Amino acid sequence: MSPAVPLDRRTALLIAIGVLLAAALGTALGTGFRLATRLREDIAAVQTASTLQAYPRELLREVSGLRERLEVRAYVGRSLATLRGSTHDFGVRLRALAAIDHDPAQLASVQRRWRGYRDELAPVLGFRGEPYVDSDAAATRLSGDGHRLYARIERARLYALANARGFDADLATVTRGLQSSASAAATRLRLLLLGGVLAALVLAAIAAWLLLSRARHARAAQEARERTRDILRTVREGFFLLDADHRIGPVWSDALGRMFGREDFAGLDFRNLLAGLVPEPTIATALKYVDLLWGERANENLMKTINPLSQVEVKSTDPLNPEPRYLQFDFHRVTGAHGVKYVLCSVVDVTSNVALARELQESQVGANAQLDMLIGMTRTDPLQLASFLDTADAGLKLVNAILREPARSDADFRRKLGGLMRELHTLKGEAGALELRGVADRLHALESRVSACESRPALSGDDFLPIVAKLDELVEYLRGIREIGARLARTDAEPAASPADAIAPILEAAAARLAQDHHKALRVECSGFDAIPRPLAKPLKDCLVHLVRNAAVHGIEDPDLRRTRSKSDVGLVRTRFARTADGYELTVEDDGAGIAPDAVKAAAVRAGLITEAEAAAMDTRAAIALIFRAGFSTMSEVSLGAGRGVGMDVVARTIHALGGRIGVATSPGKYTRFKIHLPAAADAAAAVA
Amino acid sequence: MLHERELKVFVDGTTHFFEVAAEQPASIGSPYLMGEPLALHEYSGVIEVSGRREGVVCFTAPKTMLAVMLMKMHETDFGHETMRDLVGEVANTISGNARRNFGNDFRISPPHVLCGDTPPIEPRPGARTFVIPIHWRSHSAKLVVALS
Amino acid sequence: MNAAIDPTLKLLIVDDSNIVRRRVERSQRFDRLRLVGSAANGVEALALFSRTDPDVVTMDLTMPQMDGIECIRRMVAVKPSVRILVISALADKATAIEAMACGANGFLNKPFTERQLNEALAELLR
Repeated sequence: MSPAVPLDRRTALLIAIGVLLAAALGTALGTGFRLATRLREDIAAVQTASTLQAYPRELLREVSGLRERLEVRAYVGRSLATLRGSTHDFGVRLRALAAIDHDPAQLASVQRRWRGYRDELAPVLGFRGEPYVDSDAAATRLSGDGHRLYARIERARLYALANARGFDADLATVTRGLQSSASAAATRLRLLLLGGVLAALVLAAIAAWLLLSRARHARAAQEARERTRDILRTVREGFFLLDADHRIGPVWSDALGRMFGREDFAGLDFRNLLAGLVPEPTIATALKYVDLLWGERANENLMKTINPLSQVEVKSTDPLNPEPRYLQFDFHRVTGAHGVKYVLCSVVDVTSNVALARELQESQVGANAQLDMLIGMTRTDPLQLASFLDTADAGLKLVNAILREPARSDADFRRKLGGLMRELHTLKGEAGALELRGVADRLHALESRVSACESRPALSGDDFLPIVAKLDELVEYLRGIREIGARLARTDAEPAASPADAIAPILEAAAARLAQDHHKALRVECSGFDAIPRPLAKPLKDCLVHLVRNAAVHGIEDPDLRRTRSKSDVGLVRTRFARTADGYELTVEDDGAGIAPDAVKAAAVRAGLITEAEAAAMDTRAAIALIFRAGFSTMSEVSLGAGRGVGMDVVARTIHALGGRIGVATSPGKYTRFKIHLPAAADAAAAVA
Repeated sequence: MLHERELKVFVDGTTHFFEVAAEQPASIGSPYLMGEPLALHEYSGVIEVSGRREGVVCFTAPKTMLAVMLMKMHETDFGHETMRDLVGEVANTISGNARRNFGNDFRISPPHVLCGDTPPIEPRPGARTFVIPIHWRSHSAKLVVALS
Repeated sequence: MNAAIDPTLKLLIVDDSNIVRRRVERSQRFDRLRLVGSAANGVEALALFSRTDPDVVTMDLTMPQMDGIECIRRMVAVKPSVRILVISALADKATAIEAMACGANGFLNKPFTERQLNEALAELLR
């Protein structure tokens, strides 16, 4: 992990063993050298001693030879010189032996005898005179000196004779002593060598064992390092350690490199890691936070709650993907015996989680809202648009008024749902008819929120928060449309017209769109609309939109089916407004499939409006009347066009509110005709509504 | 355009105060958009928001409600100053909750307190205003969120 | 003055709201804590601090005249051993870190229950 590991115990032991081994070998060598030198000396001494052993007899022989030469009056000069040389040699060798011998006690007796010899031989060897006197009368005879020399020689001979055996024995003893000393030294040397080898072997064995175990540990450590490395390489989190100076430690996971697009982490300042990626104030806070971790002022839980980098937006370092990313940093103290050792930091890229959350949050706010607003408007006649905006304004005010009704209980909240659904549905129909897709989609979304509430078990204000937020969004959107519309109108002003004039184009546009959505072909005929009194324009337009939608979705058949019924491919919806004697009459007739009472009953049972038994007891007239009940729909699939079960009930309510009545005539496979009668006072009723 | 989530943060800040401090949770009534001037109750705590959003958030409550709240908080003083303190604390809680949720790009002023006869809040053009009734026991207060 | 003679800890409450001050005073369940004063703003708090020499302080952050952070800084400078609990509705992370970096020892979000207050105090006095 770190290059600066202190000497471990094993290494220290190994070094101690090395020192010990060197000391042991040194001692053995030194001692061995000393012993070998001694041995060599002892052997030399033994040789000297054995040489010396021959001398006493030699001297005796030479002294005896000298005496005989005197007796026969032979020349003694040479013999004397030989004796001198032998005596000298003996002295030298004996001194040499004395220098070598380690046991002088044994040599003392030899030296004592030798001194005796020397003393006896000294006068003989020092003789300088003429031993003979020549006379004519007689043969040569001894001179005075010759007599004295003879006497001296005889004394020395006797001395040598007397000491020869002793000398011999003494020297033999010395030789034996020296021999045993040499042999002991040899034995010691052998032992020493043996001991040295043994000690070396033992130490070498220990060293080998240590080396082996160290290798084993090194291998284990290496494996552990590799495992750590593997973990750091494969783990998806970025890991690193921070020291007290905010510096990153020498180990980190590879994921960190991928996250930050760099590799120079060792010793990198945490500040520099974040610099340029997150705002400076965040960095300052983060560094303070890390300092608090070192300070151990607060416990881990408290620290976790104030982690300023728990989800931080990070500028992208990848030029190919400039979107910001979101990183989650977690900090953990790693404590040792002396408090916090370092701070372990893990980093996770949570961009996808955050993005998902954002998407869910903003799914309703399209980035192209402005664009779709404009496209929708360019398709729409400005007058119709203005009329729709007024309608929408009024409708949404009503929606808001419904919301505003105080509510505390589930029942209070539930009561609002029906009214909200009706208003929104009406507006949605008109928006769809004008191809204001953006408005229709928003109304649909709002309506979905409301309808989702119906199935909730206990309603509360919380369920209505999304509704009011969506309502606000819609109001804002409509305001945008109005603004753009006003700007367009300024450049393209047209004279004001009766609101009734806008109805026919609305219906035609609605029919065209419905035909497209439902894969049908149909045409709307409008007549007499110019007779619609101004106050009735709005309510009747609402009714007409619903009735035309109903005809298009439920009445007109597919072109294929129409052909089998010998009808033209293009369905026809005829609408006609007319004054009557007692008021007004509005007719909406389609040449579609008619209303099948059994299908209506079945749908009503499915929707839970009536029971099977009630259905069975119903006559045709009552069955057809079911289509005006709130919550009725024969379409199983919910779409923008129809099928929420709102629509015909709105028509019925509107007409009733105006004091009118509504009649239905239908023939299965042939036609459906709605006939609406309004009293003459209806326009007054509409004006005050 | 104020998001539902943001609205929820302000609402939660308010109901949180009741749950924790007054030991009884509050429920919210039917929320609506303010279309006409809205009369305030006797005491209102107001925080101003700037940064990513601009506008005000106001908690307004009648005196009777505040008195019951103080009682529930074991408070014995029902004086004017204490009432002021209380709406201030509610506003404080709302702003704290908002800061924790929205972070630093949502700057929030310390609350200030309005009391007595204050003119009604006018709808501001460009900033649509949400009114969220807050029901607690038999009393009702209002949370007004006007941000753009 | 000497803690060895007086085993109780002196408590100073700083908050601009009367309600909160009384709530802290009433709710805390520590026999060792003895209230020595309460202040409604930073200036008042510092004056009381030097007069009463408290051991424990609960501190609001947003107050008129001098804010809580500055107040903490000055108190810790005078008496490093003082234990300070921040009680604020505005305790977002950056503020909490700032307060703790200045010497606060814990924090508690407003509003708080009696239990939360006592837990925070227990943690503080540990």
